[in-house]
Amino acid sequence: MLLARDERTLQSSAFDAISFELCSRRKDVIMMSADLSQYVDLFRVCAELPEQYVEVGMAEQNLVGVAAGLAKAGYVPVATTFGSYASRRCFDQMVICMGTSKNTGIVLAFTPGISSPAPIHHQGTEDLGMLRAVPNATVIDPMDVTDLAQALEVACETPGLVYMRGHRGTTPRMLDPETFKFELGKTYPLRNGGGVGVIACGHATQWAVEAADVLVERGVDHSLLHVPTIKPVHKEEIIDYCLAHEQIVTVENHQISTGLGGLVSEIIASVGRGPRITRIGVPDRWAPGGSIGHIRKHFGLDAATLATRIEALMQ
Amino acid sequence: MRSNSGKRIKALELWAAKLRRNVVDICMQRGGYAGQGVALADVGACIFFDEMREDGKGWYHDRFVNSNGHDTIINYAAMAELGIYSMAELRTMGADGSAIDQSPIEWARGFEITSGSLGTGVSQAAGIALGERKRGSDKRVICLLSDGELHEGSVWEAFMFAAHYALSNFIVIIDNNDLGATGKTSDVMAVAPVREKMEAFGFHARQINGNSIPEVLGAFEEARTLPGKPYAMIADTKIFAGIDVYQDAIPFAHFVGKDGRWDTGRLEWELGWNEILATIERLETELAALD
Repeated sequence: MLLARDERTLQSSAFDAISFELCSRRKDVIMMSADLSQYVDLFRVCAELPEQYVEVGMAEQNLVGVAAGLAKAGYVPVATTFGSYASRRCFDQMVICMGTSKNTGIVLAFTPGISSPAPIHHQGTEDLGMLRAVPNATVIDPMDVTDLAQALEVACETPGLVYMRGHRGTTPRMLDPETFKFELGKTYPLRNGGGVGVIACGHATQWAVEAADVLVERGVDHSLLHVPTIKPVHKEEIIDYCLAHEQIVTVENHQISTGLGGLVSEIIASVGRGPRITRIGVPDRWAPGGSIGHIRKHFGLDAATLATRIEALMQ
Repeated sequence: MRSNSGKRIKALELWAAKLRRNVVDICMQRGGYAGQGVALADVGACIFFDEMREDGKGWYHDRFVNSNGHDTIINYAAMAELGIYSMAELRTMGADGSAIDQSPIEWARGFEITSGSLGTGVSQAAGIALGERKRGSDKRVICLLSDGELHEGSVWEAFMFAAHYALSNFIVIIDNNDLGATGKTSDVMAVAPVREKMEAFGFHARQINGNSIPEVLGAFEEARTLPGKPYAMIADTKIFAGIDVYQDAIPFAHFVGKDGRWDTGRLEWELGWNEILATIERLETELAALD
């Protein structure tokens, strides 16, 4: 079992410990922020390892440019900011300064998708698609803090641009660190079954797990696949999974075009046969502001509605 | 204090003439950024053949980041003299299938960054300077950018950053040639007063004639001795400086075609080529006389 069902405990400011542990162990890693350190749970590195923290002020283009420069001086930079800014304000720097380099450059995007309470300007819902289109880039959307910590470790050893989504604040630890081992491109079955196959990534895998609990109660046959690596993904695993199901649903904390749903659709289209694919996420509309519960409900992404939408596909 | 002897200056004038020759040689094949490259020959000679310390392994201890893709023709011209590229390779620039990009990608030999997206080099150079300092290295980082790149907001983010972190190992050279893509920088979007702006952003700053080798050397000397801040050398350069027959042939030539044309005029490649060869011959004679 990859899910630690009994230990689905909430963790507060998990990235603070993740970043501190990483920087304590690896003196070549540098955490960076554009005046948002405490809003991405960076505390201890700033206070206790100041040589491994670089503040650039409210300047995301410079954040990524300086990060790329630090990489060229032998460091492994982790440029943190919100996903909306990372994807929209410094896309050129990510592509040109990091994307054409052999040096590792990590951009860690917090409050991704609709996980920010501030509407539109703070909600980066297009980032996975944008970054997925960049040649040689690595794109990761971890589902929880275990996933995040392990993926970041792998990112530090991955050449070129690595764009990752982060988890901040009070967030669940769902994967069992004893049984889950992050590998780039690998997909992870969290629930086995037939009928509807649910494919999810990032925060949306949490939502899918909640919906899956409801489906179990309702006796709906299903399975759940977590796909943390959006690029490069093991395509054969996606194909095998999809061909084993009558219906496929993708669930993502992202616009329903270009992201995970787009990825799975493209892969299955290239096969020439396979199940119908229904894409669930942000449906080509601006999201409202508010709590994540409110926004999920608005788009039918709350556990009960999501379960109903999945169940309806089998009727 | 390094010797500022006549011989040192003369030797650099000869290097500059060879860089001008190489720039024209490359550009007369299929066109290119000839005016900028020729104008940068004096600064380029001082960077590659005087200021940057060698690493003893065929390259440099110090690091040179050229932010402006168009200006990288000066890197190519210098690296031809260093044997990093052959002129035969460089003459393929602009041809389909050529490995020589007019604005090179980071993986090209001898380049630190991908330089085609203007303004993105300064942040990277500042990051390198901070990284080298963190490592305890004494490497100095020279970043060349154009006055047109001052239009990009991110360069000012980088300047603020360099001053905030007191990157005294960081030198920016602003190629102040008053040339943008479509006309004079001063007409397109004025950037003056550059020196005052750089000082206000926390740099030591000096404006010099970028086509005077003694002035370029003097600014580098000052940059090495002034403490505590990054240094800005605002190098006023003149398009096609150093080749008399090209003077004013094409005002504001952003790109000169194979036929010697740009919107605002035309030049005869052969005339400049002959003048440069004569200049090189004269300087070689004068340098030999100083021995």
